[in-house]
Amino acid sequence: MLELQHYLAVGAIMFGIGLIGFMTRRNLIVMFLCTELMFQGVAINMVAFGHFWGNLAGQAFVIFILVIAAAEASLALGLVVLLFRQKGTLDADAWRELKG
Amino acid sequence: MTLTPSILGAGVIPPVLILILCLVAGIGTVFLLPSRKEASLRKIGGVVLLAAGLIFVAFLVRASAQVEGMGVYFWAFSTIALVGASRVVTHPKPVYSALYFILTVFATAGLFVLLWAEFMAAALVLIYAGAILVTYVFVIMLASDSGSHGAGALGGLAEHDAVSREPVIAAAVGYSMMGMLLFAIFEKAEPIIHSPAVPKGTVEQLGRYLFRNQLVNLELSGLILTIAMVGAIVIARRRVYVAGNTLGSPEVVVSPATPVDDNPHSIPVVGTTNPRQKAFPET
Repeated sequence: MLELQHYLAVGAIMFGIGLIGFMTRRNLIVMFLCTELMFQGVAINMVAFGHFWGNLAGQAFVIFILVIAAAEASLALGLVVLLFRQKGTLDADAWRELKG
Repeated sequence: MTLTPSILGAGVIPPVLILILCLVAGIGTVFLLPSRKEASLRKIGGVVLLAAGLIFVAFLVRASAQVEGMGVYFWAFSTIALVGASRVVTHPKPVYSALYFILTVFATAGLFVLLWAEFMAAALVLIYAGAILVTYVFVIMLASDSGSHGAGALGGLAEHDAVSREPVIAAAVGYSMMGMLLFAIFEKAEPIIHSPAVPKGTVEQLGRYLFRNQLVNLELSGLILTIAMVGAIVIARRRVYVAGNTLGSPEVVVSPATPVDDNPHSIPVVGTTNPRQKAFPET
């Protein structure tokens, strides 16, 4: 029988992979892709909890996660295009002067 | 869904095993991440990572003692999802990363179907694979650097794609967090007594729930989407001049809009008496 822990493990591993990617990759677009991976891991957790507790709150939360992901993707890609126009590269290290 | 308590209690996967597997997987990931190392080393890293994942799966399968029926689909979908996710992170080319992310999205949608969340699966495929990923691929194509800095060791890739930043520290942080999460999941979890009426997540029930219990949140999310749309337009626009267009002239000759400068805070002006407007470059 598949248990809640199986799904939680998949979500946790996916979140960890996304975290590693967000820290190591230097391409701005790939960094935002890794954020989406972390969203996916959390969404798996939400749906699994909702299923095993027998209510619909988890799925409703995933809908809001999708809304936030769509808003984040549109804003982030707009920012990426803007930054690319300024420096002509997608390298996150090109914006080193931004660190405080 | 049965009423049996959780089979996977404490001690299914000992914490030492989780620690060792996370360590091995971390070493594999460090080798697999794009860097100036040779291709054979990266292949070894991939094999190590895969081996760690397979050992973890083997222990889980032995603990759950049943791989048949719906179980097969769970193992298949989660394996595809996790392999796709690790390829998103470790593939040096951004386009391939986006394509592997689509694979991960589809596998996750399969997991959602197994959890009786058909609407969420459909929404995930529509929104992620249909809308967000298409936008990502557009931006990748639009903003691709001319990766011709040296076709030698980097293989035509841009330097920031081919060399990752601090892979050892990042893998240490990521895998220590992953290990802690897995430890909490497999050691500290208490069995859930399943509620007898598990709702099969039909669209009708979900819609009723959303509009009865989450109405304000639903409206707020619509507002957030509108604000994000306006914000994206404001961020990404730039000033264009439409030559030959003056207010009040009946015949408007519109030439193709050409960007004059890259000032993102400028507003598009069409021949008005805006004080921020520069003189036309030629006319």
